[in-house]
Amino acid sequence: MKDLVRQKLSIHVDVMDLLNKQIEKEAHSSSAYLAMASWCDHNALSYSADFFYEQASEEREHMMKIFRYINDNGGTAFSPEVGGVNHDFKSLEEIFETALDQEIAITKSIHNLVGKCRKVNDYTTEYFLHWFIQEQMEEEQTMRRALELFDLMGTDVLGLKLLDERIPQIREKRPE
Amino acid sequence: MKVLHQSQFFTSYQCDKQRCFFIEFPHKTVKLGFCQLLAFRQQVREIDLEAHFNGQNTHGMEMLMLCNRQHFFVLNTLESIDLKEFVTGTFAMLELNSLLTASV
Repeated sequence: MKDLVRQKLSIHVDVMDLLNKQIEKEAHSSSAYLAMASWCDHNALSYSADFFYEQASEEREHMMKIFRYINDNGGTAFSPEVGGVNHDFKSLEEIFETALDQEIAITKSIHNLVGKCRKVNDYTTEYFLHWFIQEQMEEEQTMRRALELFDLMGTDVLGLKLLDERIPQIREKRPE
Repeated sequence: MKVLHQSQFFTSYQCDKQRCFFIEFPHKTVKLGFCQLLAFRQQVREIDLEAHFNGQNTHGMEMLMLCNRQHFFVLNTLESIDLKEFVTGTFAMLELNSLLTASV
């Protein structure tokens, strides 16, 4: 019997399912960042708001990368539903802690995907995911740097304002 | 045409010549391309069997539309249970075929 599945699909079906789950997670991440941006805007933390608007956009790009990858390789990508987005935050510090936790969860999910790829010998998808592993490392570093600012500058009114102005710098790479 | 998997109510076939699949339902046989098979699989995966028993799905029916809405099926609880097992079995056989083909 011909291997029609292999002829039509370059990736493993179980991996395709996990990638579709990952699309949902990235979409949820994007919506969560939008909620954070909105909170920052309402609390006059405009630099942090811009940061999170950009994060929301990046997460959507991640989602689209996976979406196209599935379809380009013969699979079926499913447009995700997003629900249960939290809009209620106590402080900017809580927002960045939540953002870091979110990125850690995404990293874990990507690593789980890579593990599955190795298990089923889907080397194509494993190679595709290398970019995400690198990207997640950078995302975690960025959020960690933001939290370090809170340790250094405190959260009184003036400290918070100065901290907000430094948020754009957390993306800058340290000189080697 | 080769039988992939057979359950109580359904049978799946692979046709090498036309490079497609056939699924035999109780009253109808449907031809599917691979993408349509994947879409079918996703619909079946989304069937919530628990809802048939916890009162949420009081009529105990599931509706399936296949192949760009060309085919419409209404399934009862027993058929839905069997369908889930059938789809899992079909894809297990396809994977087994891939492993065997790769090892030759």
